[in-house]
Amino acid sequence: MKAVVKNGVAVFSPQGFLDANSTSAFLNIEDVTAAENLKADMILVSLKKVIFFNRNGLDAFVKLFYKIRKKNHAIVGFCDYDDKKYHAIKKFYKGEINFSLFKTLDIAYLFSTGFKNQNKKILLYSSDKSQRTTMAIELHDGGHNPIVAQSQEEYESKKKNTDAYDYIIDSTFLGDTGDKVATRVTGNAIIYTVSGFLDAQINERFNLLYHQNSLNVGFRLFIFDAYKVVSMNVHALNFFSKLSSSAAEYNATICFVGLSFEKTQIEFKETLEDAGILFYEQMDDILKNKELLNELGASSAANIKNKRALNKQTVKELPSFIDAAIITIEMMTNSKAIKKSAEIHNLTIDIKKGKIASSIGYYGELDGMVILVFPVTIAKKACELLIGESTDDIELILDTLAELVNIVGGKIKTLLSEHNIKVDITLPRTYQDVDSLLEVVGDKKGVQVDLSFDDDEFLFFLTR
Amino acid sequence: MITKNDIDIFISKIPPAPKTLKDTFGLLQIGDLVKAAKLAESDLALKSYLKNLVNKPIYGFKNEVSDISQIFGILGVSLSQQAVYNYMTSLLSPDEWLLFKLNAASFYELQAQLSKKWEAILTYLKVEDKDIYAAISLLPSSIIVSEALFCKSIDDVTLLRTTKALDYNTILTRLCGIGLFDICEKIAHKWEMNEIIPQIIHSASGVRPSDDEEINKLGKWMHLLLFFELSQPQFIEAGLNDFVDFQVDYVSDIYDEFATLMEIK
Repeated sequence: MKAVVKNGVAVFSPQGFLDANSTSAFLNIEDVTAAENLKADMILVSLKKVIFFNRNGLDAFVKLFYKIRKKNHAIVGFCDYDDKKYHAIKKFYKGEINFSLFKTLDIAYLFSTGFKNQNKKILLYSSDKSQRTTMAIELHDGGHNPIVAQSQEEYESKKKNTDAYDYIIDSTFLGDTGDKVATRVTGNAIIYTVSGFLDAQINERFNLLYHQNSLNVGFRLFIFDAYKVVSMNVHALNFFSKLSSSAAEYNATICFVGLSFEKTQIEFKETLEDAGILFYEQMDDILKNKELLNELGASSAANIKNKRALNKQTVKELPSFIDAAIITIEMMTNSKAIKKSAEIHNLTIDIKKGKIASSIGYYGELDGMVILVFPVTIAKKACELLIGESTDDIELILDTLAELVNIVGGKIKTLLSEHNIKVDITLPRTYQDVDSLLEVVGDKKGVQVDLSFDDDEFLFFLTR
Repeated sequence: MITKNDIDIFISKIPPAPKTLKDTFGLLQIGDLVKAAKLAESDLALKSYLKNLVNKPIYGFKNEVSDISQIFGILGVSLSQQAVYNYMTSLLSPDEWLLFKLNAASFYELQAQLSKKWEAILTYLKVEDKDIYAAISLLPSSIIVSEALFCKSIDDVTLLRTTKALDYNTILTRLCGIGLFDICEKIAHKWEMNEIIPQIIHSASGVRPSDDEEINKLGKWMHLLLFFELSQPQFIEAGLNDFVDFQVDYVSDIYDEFATLMEIK
């Protein structure tokens, strides 16, 4: 059984009955290896469609949790259960629960490092006082506003006012939380949250692949929220210096906010400044200063390093890229594509109104970026297979479009591997309007292919 | 990936019930087991299938049963009809399974497990209608339909399912407006099965409950039985556990009875 990964959260969804025999069948060696290698911040098993389980049935998953935690420090646990299942799990494992339990997947997202919608008002209750505190701290660190009920009565009373809260959390347990560096995106800046003592472990806790992907897709400002950092040693110093040097290749900036040098050698600050890292007292010093944001590069997401011409190999593999996009859109819309033209020039979009776009980068033995520009109508149609119904909710459409482009990326990877070319794909990025896309692409040249699906115009652009 | 045209082609290729089987059913309907057995003896493939089926451990015979009249005699009218329908369903299965890791032996095993447990359920529910006994035979055809329609798009389906946990029935319904169980219904019509059979199958899909309470009750039991079987290691390994969506809430009111009957601890 393979996990479905979305927004850095990987979910296994077994169905039916979980006992010792069935669970081992759910997780063969290949699945375990694939799960271990997932770059997910959180790996969960959904119990939504499980009607029966016993301790032996859960144990195989728990063993997998330990392996994964040891290897990649992700948050691991179960989600999507009712009160009966929650109490059964607590009873099975009593005081030895090191994994987490999230009543719903949406609640799990609140605790994930990549959750995009911060500032949620959350009512929270657990009969365990230390759990209440731990969850409140984690949510607060994630940029939310937790309201902690101190008793069951208070919780029941507050819960009645459902409109007052975006989320209500109960029957949830935080085991060992992931010690990965939390990441969030604000506009065109990426904010990493670091805390405690920074040492050699930072290499494992920091998602370097995500950082590299962010550089590849055009982010240029990276802020380390370091209010809670106690001190750092020379290993962490080296890590940040190297990170800054590699960011410089992309003309990107790295900043530290709120870092105190009470317990860290002041010479470290000088070394980091020499490496190009900037220091600020408050986050608002950056985020609320538009002039400074412009200067640091957060107003533009143009990718400086990758301003390169298409090479021969990319052109040779062009049919694979186009096929990947066409096959996927044909699959999602169940309609036939007609290729109208293919030319090399700057990205040219004649009619910008009513269009949205998405891009995905790839890197490895080949590198570049595929951009798809859709009329909203065809984007909606393409997303219906994933959503299950027609929608006008632009946020939902963009979110689903990202999944769709992820499928295109996966297809590109597969088609290129058939030609013995190994590439990895970046996280997808979506654009609510064409102007923000053009800002990223700038004046780069690429191959533009105009296509039509059932008379809807669709644009494919490949650039480096 | 899959179009309505692909489905129409698949349905058009389903052969009608062969004359021997039709006549066998006719004789089983009037309870003439002897003549039915005599007729079935002439169809060597049917004979071989029935022998294979009833000699599986779940049928619990100490000695090998090889004579068709003996098989029909032991099974009785309802189970004989069910076994012949199982044979018909097996005729639709591919020579080589590509989407699911199945083969003829494991598919027959699934049919046998479902059939014997369905018999236990109907005995518990005190249901004697032989068409209801036969209904379980149509259920595995949904697996065959998935295999036939999706086997040419395995890479696409796999890629899609790594992004979103969609079952085959949902994908097919969203793409073509027709689900796996609608196709099973068309098979039932082609084979002139009793009307109640596709109704139970639809209800057993868990996504289209019937207005008839009795049919719905049977559908729930069949839905839960299907997932009980699809939670067995060999069928999980075959990739069948999530081929359709399990509706936990739909079956929650009968779960305790089911667990007792199946001795789940």
